[in-house]
Amino acid sequence: MEIAINSKMVTVPRKLQDVALLDFIRDFAGLKGTKFGCGMGLCGACTVHIDGTAALSCQVLIAEAIGRQVTTIEGLAGTTPTGTLHPVQKAWIEDSVPQCGYCQPGQIMTAAAFLSRNPSPSDKEIRDEMSGNLCRCGTYTRIHGAIVRAAKES
Amino acid sequence: MSQVVAEELNVGQSEIECVLPDTDQTPPFKMTVGSESIASFFEPISYGAARLREALRILAAEKAGLSPDQVQDSRAGFVLPDGTELSYATLVPSVPVVLSVSASLTTEKTMPRYALERKDKYQSIGRSWRHQELEAIVTGQTVYSRDVSLPDMLYGQALRPPAFGAQLQSADGRAAEAMPDVTAVVIDKENNFVGVVTDDPFVLPTATQAIVARWEVPEDLNQDQIDASLDVKQLRARDDLEHTLTMVGDIGAGRSNAQYKTTARYDTSFAAHAAMEPRAGVAWVKKDKVEIWCGSQDPFFVQRRVAKATGREVDDVVVHSHRMGGGFGGRVLCQASEEAALLSAAVERPVRVQWDREAEFQNNYFQPGFSHYIDAGVTSEGAISHWEHDFVSSPIMTGPVPENIAWVLDKVMADEGTARGGLSQYRAANRRVRYSDIRTPVPIGAWRGLGAAPNTFAIESMMDELAAAVGIDPLEFRLQNLPSTSDRLAGVLRRVAEISEWGQPAPTGTGRGIACAVYKNQTAVAVVAEVQVDHSASELRVTKTWCAQDCGLVVNPNQVENQVMGNIVWGCSMALKERITVEAGAVKERNFDGYEVLRHRESPEIAVVLVDSDAAPVGVGESAFGPVAPAIANAVFATTGRRIRRLPMSYSSVFSDANG
Repeated sequence: MEIAINSKMVTVPRKLQDVALLDFIRDFAGLKGTKFGCGMGLCGACTVHIDGTAALSCQVLIAEAIGRQVTTIEGLAGTTPTGTLHPVQKAWIEDSVPQCGYCQPGQIMTAAAFLSRNPSPSDKEIRDEMSGNLCRCGTYTRIHGAIVRAAKES
Repeated sequence: MSQVVAEELNVGQSEIECVLPDTDQTPPFKMTVGSESIASFFEPISYGAARLREALRILAAEKAGLSPDQVQDSRAGFVLPDGTELSYATLVPSVPVVLSVSASLTTEKTMPRYALERKDKYQSIGRSWRHQELEAIVTGQTVYSRDVSLPDMLYGQALRPPAFGAQLQSADGRAAEAMPDVTAVVIDKENNFVGVVTDDPFVLPTATQAIVARWEVPEDLNQDQIDASLDVKQLRARDDLEHTLTMVGDIGAGRSNAQYKTTARYDTSFAAHAAMEPRAGVAWVKKDKVEIWCGSQDPFFVQRRVAKATGREVDDVVVHSHRMGGGFGGRVLCQASEEAALLSAAVERPVRVQWDREAEFQNNYFQPGFSHYIDAGVTSEGAISHWEHDFVSSPIMTGPVPENIAWVLDKVMADEGTARGGLSQYRAANRRVRYSDIRTPVPIGAWRGLGAAPNTFAIESMMDELAAAVGIDPLEFRLQNLPSTSDRLAGVLRRVAEISEWGQPAPTGTGRGIACAVYKNQTAVAVVAEVQVDHSASELRVTKTWCAQDCGLVVNPNQVENQVMGNIVWGCSMALKERITVEAGAVKERNFDGYEVLRHRESPEIAVVLVDSDAAPVGVGESAFGPVAPAIANAVFATTGRRIRRLPMSYSSVFSDANG
């Protein structure tokens, strides 16, 4: 039983089949970029990609991810043709989006999956899509602007 | 801060590294609270860096056999009359040199201070440097408190008391101890603590559940009881307001002079910080030393608290600081680190404790609710005839002190945090402002802006009520009642009016409101909010906000703008969403479903203008927050004719009979 995390195969021990993908990523795979925020799928901080689609990793059991491709914030740049920063990450830097930064990996993962599905979204589509990701520092305006920028530049 | 140093040293951003020191690498420094960093440290940091530059200049002069005034500035170093460049790197001696502040006052008087003096030709100050950590943050490389991991680390969790003030009676950890991977169960009645340590993080929840703890719960406390003890009406009936902030003139005489007079009551709710990162810490209690890895607004306070919990000397505790996912006043303590220390002491290995969201909502301290009563009026000339304002809440700054000290403290102290923003800037010949700070069993501590936002809500709502009653434009009414000494506040009011095109008719179905405040007598802010009521969706939305702020010299415009935007969002969230409720002695809200905070789609468009100023820089972290909620409430009035006197508001509360 294996899952691919950022294109690397990871064997899942039998006794960990029932744990949340988020906990597995952080405490077994040792990748700390994916964040715990609420544990109930309410805040979006734990967003990763499963087969290219955004998923709340605190709500996914590891058993459900077996045989699938999981991408975390650490692996996002590796999904681009050049292997450098993803256009969404670049836009986030360009617009100095983060304050504390804790929610931003989740915001970026949601935005990246969204733009790959909908490369030129409307303002309303951005607002609706991004409303599952909380930011307590209140960087929504800049998140919005960075998504518009990334859509233009990719 | 880096930009101030860079200004003095003539270096660029890439040549400066900003580090979070461990507690044993530096003497204690002021904690990060009250948005005071730039106001408190701009000048000393500039001084220190200038002093360093001049000491290096003397070294350069000695090396070249010249006098210091022949050695001119160059980028990251100096240049000699013959054109030879001497970089700082070539001048730094191999042994550290300590520069003392009192060294030579004559040198200091003539010492150039670029951060203070070369205002027209700043090289670093006033530029929008990007934060050095950005790339690490967006690639998931930044190590937050919750991401700390040590070799040989174990995993701990404490059981949560079921109610405020619950006392541990007994605990049975035998079932947990019998489980594989469980290292220890720690039962410590003296510290009111029971917790478990495992060598496998994945068994921690099961092991914790296997412990049976008996707690004594003091009383069945609920929100109605708490609200009753903080009820301004009851205190006024007994004429029992403890502290007087101001008393001038004669309220009665003012009242009889009034062309229009009114009274109103305003209430705000208890609130939580709800920072995105639930707190966490790693502790390693060794024989001679205790090490803590965590994020906190005051690592030196964490150091003292851990020393006390583990019975060690303060100097034997070292706190390694990490970036944290939000503070907002809620992370002065790191209770998770204290729990980790108690557990580590029992197992003599490093132990990690991570709070979950429920622990964060249940076990931290809160913003207290406020109730206000204002009796005010306006003369026929449009001046404030009288202003009588009473309010009640809990002590905030001294909120976290232990009970045995609190009762003495409360007898002699008036809590300044509770009173923050309680005195408005407006002229009123007859004025009295009183308040009481009353403790309830709910743990209270600093929350963004402390009393400023609740107090500004009451004051700026009443100003709007008065303006509307006498038919004066709310902006004009404010301007005409400000004293000439409030020119900075008047300035931001005019600026925000300009950028929001105040006075132009608002789009159909929307209304605009204005509010302003001076935060901590320093930062002047004015906000205009536009609210849209959508009856078909039963929805109230803040669509746009405009903010003008005068915070003196702006060191980094981009970061300040980001902070102001954060304040606006936090203000919308307070106005529309946030409420903590106590039920059966504990907090009812356990996660973001019960305690809602503003989401992306609810967030307004935000326009920010920062006033050009070369006055001393002052705080921006909380300043724009206070006027937001009253600006929204005033906008609701403008579009619906209904007054909002209780927060948070919602579509249904706006259109309930109480607000008719």
